[in-house]
Amino acid sequence: MKSFGITTPATPIVNRDGILWVIAALCISMLPQLINMPAVLVPITLMPIAWRLLAEFRGWKPMSMFFRVLATALAVGVLVTTYGGLMGRRAAVSMLALMLSLKLLETFRIRDARIVASLSLFLCSTQFLFSQGIPMIVYIIVCLLSALMALMLLQRREAFARLREAPQTGRDLFAELGFGIRLIALALPIGLAIFLLFPRWGSPLWGVPENALDARSGLSDSMSPGSIQSLFMDDSPAFRVNFEGELPRNGEMYWRGPVFWDFNGQRWQPGYLIRNLPAAGKPELNQAPFRYEVQMEPTEQRWLFALDYPAMVPRGAYLTMDYQLLARRPVTQLRSYTMASDPAYLDTLQLKQTLRRAALELPAGSNPRTAQMMLGWRAEAKNDTEIVRRALDYFNQQEFHYTLNPPLLSQHTADEFLFDTRRGFCEHYASAFTIMMRMAGIPARVVTGYQGGWYSELGNYVLVRQSDAHAWSEVWLDVTGWTRIDPTAAVAPGRIEQGALDSLAQRRHMLDYEWLRNARNTFDLLQRGWNNWAIDFGSETQSRLFTVFGWGIFNSAKLVIAMVAIVFITATAIYLLLPQVMRIRSARRQAPLLQLWNKFVRKLDKAGFVSRPSMGPMELAALAGSQLKYAREGIERIAGLYALCRYSPNKQGQSELEALINNFRPRPASQR
Amino acid sequence: MQRVRAKRGPMTPPFVLEYRHVFVLPTSFGWGFGLMLVFMTLGGLNFNNNMTLMLAFLVTTIAQLTTLIAYRNLAGLSIDSIVAEPVFCGDNARFKVFISNADEHHRFAVQTGFSMAQDCTDFKLNACIAMHLSHPTVRRGWLEMPSFRLETRFPLGLFKAWSWVFPQTRCLVYPAPASNAPPLPRTGQGRSGQATRGEGEQVYGLRKYQSGDSMHRVAWRTSARHGELYSLEMETPREEACELDWNSLQGRDIEARLSIMTAWVIAAEHKQLIYSLRLPDEYVPAGSGADQRSKCLELLALFDTETGVFKSASINTQT
Repeated sequence: MKSFGITTPATPIVNRDGILWVIAALCISMLPQLINMPAVLVPITLMPIAWRLLAEFRGWKPMSMFFRVLATALAVGVLVTTYGGLMGRRAAVSMLALMLSLKLLETFRIRDARIVASLSLFLCSTQFLFSQGIPMIVYIIVCLLSALMALMLLQRREAFARLREAPQTGRDLFAELGFGIRLIALALPIGLAIFLLFPRWGSPLWGVPENALDARSGLSDSMSPGSIQSLFMDDSPAFRVNFEGELPRNGEMYWRGPVFWDFNGQRWQPGYLIRNLPAAGKPELNQAPFRYEVQMEPTEQRWLFALDYPAMVPRGAYLTMDYQLLARRPVTQLRSYTMASDPAYLDTLQLKQTLRRAALELPAGSNPRTAQMMLGWRAEAKNDTEIVRRALDYFNQQEFHYTLNPPLLSQHTADEFLFDTRRGFCEHYASAFTIMMRMAGIPARVVTGYQGGWYSELGNYVLVRQSDAHAWSEVWLDVTGWTRIDPTAAVAPGRIEQGALDSLAQRRHMLDYEWLRNARNTFDLLQRGWNNWAIDFGSETQSRLFTVFGWGIFNSAKLVIAMVAIVFITATAIYLLLPQVMRIRSARRQAPLLQLWNKFVRKLDKAGFVSRPSMGPMELAALAGSQLKYAREGIERIAGLYALCRYSPNKQGQSELEALINNFRPRPASQR
Repeated sequence: MQRVRAKRGPMTPPFVLEYRHVFVLPTSFGWGFGLMLVFMTLGGLNFNNNMTLMLAFLVTTIAQLTTLIAYRNLAGLSIDSIVAEPVFCGDNARFKVFISNADEHHRFAVQTGFSMAQDCTDFKLNACIAMHLSHPTVRRGWLEMPSFRLETRFPLGLFKAWSWVFPQTRCLVYPAPASNAPPLPRTGQGRSGQATRGEGEQVYGLRKYQSGDSMHRVAWRTSARHGELYSLEMETPREEACELDWNSLQGRDIEARLSIMTAWVIAAEHKQLIYSLRLPDEYVPAGSGADQRSKCLELLALFDTETGVFKSASINTQT
């Protein structure tokens, strides 16, 4: 005989409830993936599911092997060509979703159905690579619940498969759902405890793919007219800042991002040489007036944002010559760093010739009209500062407009903008201004980043959204070094003081109302809390938590010890304590009535009567009464009352029975 | 197995499944599921993805909880009694296992079987349910019920909780009735048969007159010849009767003889004949009905080939 396992000959055919729940679980876990995959793949992924549903309701037979293989090959072919390979997370997860969907073609037995239900949970877990926002909590619960339902129904089907009749006392749908919810609710606190205590890795074991996000969000590594404008439509948070102490004025909050040196007539690009030069120096940390912590949303880019000028460099990052903070690896997940900034720092008082040349270079022959004007200004001006002021006045006094819908510019972007259209967004102004400066012989560069932010009084933090993206300009002057000049401020001062959204008269889209924006901003408080407590929880946070418990900081050796200890303690607890708990429970399991009766039987046994467990109350009473004649009356009364309590709904007799049994002392008259 | 059996000692019903009787292990599906969870956790740790980790830990905890639920689903069941009706050899022995749930919770999908799952049921509160187990029979005589399992994979099928039960029940297996048995020996008539004496239409014989005998029954001619009063004894010529005799089947082997006699008993009972059974050391007087049938069949079932005598035959189908 086998030592364990009742074997079921072949796994039975799946029932309708079961397969429908399996399909539901799969569809739910696939949902975010379907929304984010290329549109071509959506019908291909859904087709096998539709076939399986039809097969269920029309009673179709399983597809033959040939067609299954053919369908799989075709679908995978389309997927690979659509993505151009299987590199990248989205492609890999789309592949998983597609394979699971194709698996349904051959899912007619419980075994296969179980595999699909379990792997749909795995599919669900892969979705958090792309988003870990608060709505995903709902997603996680619904996925889990539907997979549990599928597994429960499949189990039930498997158990009863050999019986011809359907079981009578099975639970209805709501009871099953309730059971699933209870299961999740029970598991939640324990799961949370494991989550907090389970040792984390400080650094990944294998490489983290860099293209984790679907669309690169945030600033890009080049600037052309319209590139920041597209961000303006995007309300998603870029980063959140917690100021320690003093908060800078809104107009002073320039969050430095990519700096551009090279202009090819259309597009601004970073100077690749310059990017690799380290900063010559940085402000003294103890003189930096602003201290803050930045929590950045993943961008897949390497920029870390800080106010001018960063006085410290976060771990795993460096400061370039033009004071960009660059991380060594792209930011693929939420990242926090502490920062200090000193806006009074003087940047590069001595400009090297190579750099000066780089900051003056322009494509030959472009923007002739601007060049003409700037030559005139140069001749009239006494110094560089005057030219800068004149340019700003020019923007301010001429008919320039700050608008969301600027006309398209073609070949000579600066010329057309300055003399013809005069309507533009911040990148138009920054670009045109920088070109003007360079033409006037003043070294200049374009800086992009974010400007301003929304201060949450409730959470005491500044929220910077993608829509706060901004571009400005920096010129090099002898006295002040690189100096920030924001031409947009000359056109629309409100943009800088109040933020981009309030400075525009028009709405960005149908749902762009102020109250809605405020509601969203308030909701961000929740998201921030979620970020801080759930998503950003890592080995460092955990170490801090352990420190609170007095366990000290964990290094890798301690971690291993902790892991072993946790496993050991848990195992000991389960195998030593649980039996005790269970024994107590099994003793308590007996109904109080039965406990009373057993007490009575023990008393009889002590008096010399030998009871057998198979005896019913009446049989026992008769035998005991005939053996212990002196106590016969008492025995019969007790047995009668017990039978009455046990076998009729009468519950009142129990207290009387208790008294009788407690006072029952079978002793011969002679011993009394 | 044997150790477990020895440790547990003889089973006396009602037998309640306690903590130490119930074992829990993952099913093969459970192992696969666990492997998937390991991969999920590794991925979450590597990418430092907290929601993936949370999902993995949540599912792991749920899986762990199902071990307790499976245990709870089984422990506390009480096996009240096991009953088996006698069967003919070659048929399946059917054991009825009466199981009751005295606890304050429902139980779902409790399976039972020897090596294959044979029956499955839910238990409501205070339900007592007969679960059916069948076991093939190959020899006549007592079939000791093999140990069987109660098992549940409730609720997700990740873990199975099971408990062995070592019953002390046996099932009586009658010899297989011979398919081409010789015709019933219609030897038994009258006294050895079962015709009822007393009032009747057919003369059975004479006996001395006893006061109270009817005057019509007095055999006057015989009485006159012997000088004593004789009265006719009458019988009812109801049906044939037969005597099933071991010795009438000489020249065949013992099992074949037993099979033929079994077939005869069945045939006689079917035709509602009155029959008696003669075996080397035993004799069952003429009779009919269920009692007669089971008495005869039991003797045939327990006929000891070695000694040619019968084992002690007291039917005890209840443990």
